[in-house]
Amino acid sequence: MPDTATLAAPETRSPAPPPAAGGNQRLRMPRFALALPAWGWLLVFFVVPIGTIVWFSFGYKPGLFGTHANDVLSFDRYREAFSPTFFTTFTNTLWVGVAGTAICLLIGMPAAYWMAVKAPPRLRGLLIALVMVPYWTNFLVRTIGWQVILAPEGWLSNLLQSLHLTGGPLDLLYTRTAVLIGVVYNYLPLMVLPLFVAFDRVGEPLREASKDLGAGRLRTFTRVTLPLARPGIIAGTVLVFIPLMGDYVTATVLGGARGNMVGQLVASQFQTAQNWALGSAMAVVLILVIAATVGVMALVAWLVSLPIRARHRLVIEEAS
Amino acid sequence: MTTSTTPRQGTGSVPDSAGPPPPVRRRRSWGDRLIALWGVLVLLFLFAPILVIIVYSFNDGRLLIAWNEFGFEPYRALLERPAIRSAVTVSLQVAVLSGLLATFLGTMAGVAMARRPGRWTWWFMGLLLLVSVTPEIVDAVSLLPWMVFLGQDAGLAVFDNGIVRLVVGHSLFSTAVVSYIVRARLIGIDESLEEASADLYAPPVRTFRKVTVPLAMPAVLAGFLLSFTLSLDNTIVSAFVQVSGSTPWPVYVLSALRSGLRPEIAAMSTVMLVLTLLALALVGVVLKRSGDSATDIARTMGGG
Repeated sequence: MPDTATLAAPETRSPAPPPAAGGNQRLRMPRFALALPAWGWLLVFFVVPIGTIVWFSFGYKPGLFGTHANDVLSFDRYREAFSPTFFTTFTNTLWVGVAGTAICLLIGMPAAYWMAVKAPPRLRGLLIALVMVPYWTNFLVRTIGWQVILAPEGWLSNLLQSLHLTGGPLDLLYTRTAVLIGVVYNYLPLMVLPLFVAFDRVGEPLREASKDLGAGRLRTFTRVTLPLARPGIIAGTVLVFIPLMGDYVTATVLGGARGNMVGQLVASQFQTAQNWALGSAMAVVLILVIAATVGVMALVAWLVSLPIRARHRLVIEEAS
Repeated sequence: MTTSTTPRQGTGSVPDSAGPPPPVRRRRSWGDRLIALWGVLVLLFLFAPILVIIVYSFNDGRLLIAWNEFGFEPYRALLERPAIRSAVTVSLQVAVLSGLLATFLGTMAGVAMARRPGRWTWWFMGLLLLVSVTPEIVDAVSLLPWMVFLGQDAGLAVFDNGIVRLVVGHSLFSTAVVSYIVRARLIGIDESLEEASADLYAPPVRTFRKVTVPLAMPAVLAGFLLSFTLSLDNTIVSAFVQVSGSTPWPVYVLSALRSGLRPEIAAMSTVMLVLTLLALALVGVVLKRSGDSATDIARTMGGG
């Protein structure tokens, strides 16, 4: 698209605007001139800091009071980052990340389908606003809300006990399950919103056409709606998985010692241990693990879609 | 739609609501009912902790978790404790400043992407994507050493100022958000108005000021309000770059978490929630008046 725009530019619009009334014809600015401030800003406060972190990760912590030193470079911090104690946290995080994303998809898909397709159209705006409100509520506050709910002396625990559904007080807070509940809750809107947009975009006419051509409800869903909603499913999965892997707040509030995640690990290296070299290495590993997992998921999704595409090629090509 | 007198098949929606409501045969199947129930349950799930916080903000006890009795004590404490007042003030200051900064940077970048596309657009979009997908914790831990370096080693004393640090930290993600929104809006509007302005001999700067910016205005406004809200809620980056003395309210909550949560925290959260919702409602109104559908608004607020 930008190529055609570049090609078309000389004809459709004059690249150098016509001489102005005052004759203040200046040097023609490069195309990206207006974006330069943003470029510069992000370069100085995003790219360079991340580069610094990568650089630190090859250094070491000098003595008790230093935070980092880079006069001797090595991969030792990475080796340290994969030592058994830290490695357990990494696998734990990956488990929560994958399970949380999968649960979000399972919960979010029917909900988004209902909002975009089944709910009365005049309610749609309201429903989507209702999903938006929790999404824009402070992350930390929402999570503290769960702490209040899940606390052993909280009302849910008391309710369950008085109904004799549980033997003793609720033992959920500060476990991995609590973290899982927390992250599913916190990132669910990020799954529902893109799915809603995707289902909404499929549109009534295509579904009706499918029904008119004799497809049942299930077939319409699996052969028309779902394939067309694929971009939304992919977007939702990625949007949930990436921040979930880097989660820090949920695990801090609900996880305690039993539900540790890498985000906390990285944070503690910078805040309490003052070992910036090791913390940096962990942050780099975290990014690499996320990128690798997204890559693997993309590959798996592609491989799974191959046989389906081969069978339904006509359907998919016509629909898109 | 004068020809569509034949009754429509299926229970689908009828887009035109002019005239009497058409006879919709609403034969709801069990599947439909189940899925509606599921949707309502999900909404309840989404609201559960928020409602809990609001209810518990009226808890007259000493600890947040243990309900004592209904009262307004937490809200009174809100006014009395200087630490809370200063945290809220810092948050509001930073939110306005970083909102303005992100709007300035993002609007120009968005206009450039929509009106002067080229190969650079891909690189820039790539950078924005990277900014928006990088886990916040990584942003936070990388900004901390950088700010320390700028402030102490490079001798730029501004970066020792807590407000400046927070504004910088909050502006990064917001710049990306504003850029997306402004670009999306301008791409949807054909460039003929700007061409007409140029044909009428308006210099580029005046065309930009008098034509492009007004066209992009709803997106700019929405972008500012979203940046404001994002900054108001930012917890992780704030916790790392903040300087003691200018603590924003989420960081205050985070530190209260370690020393024991009191009901004031819930009261403060409720007040901030109301503020956020007001800002969001404004975004919705602005976008709606500029002709966006519910889906467009959802897409904008979902972060592009």
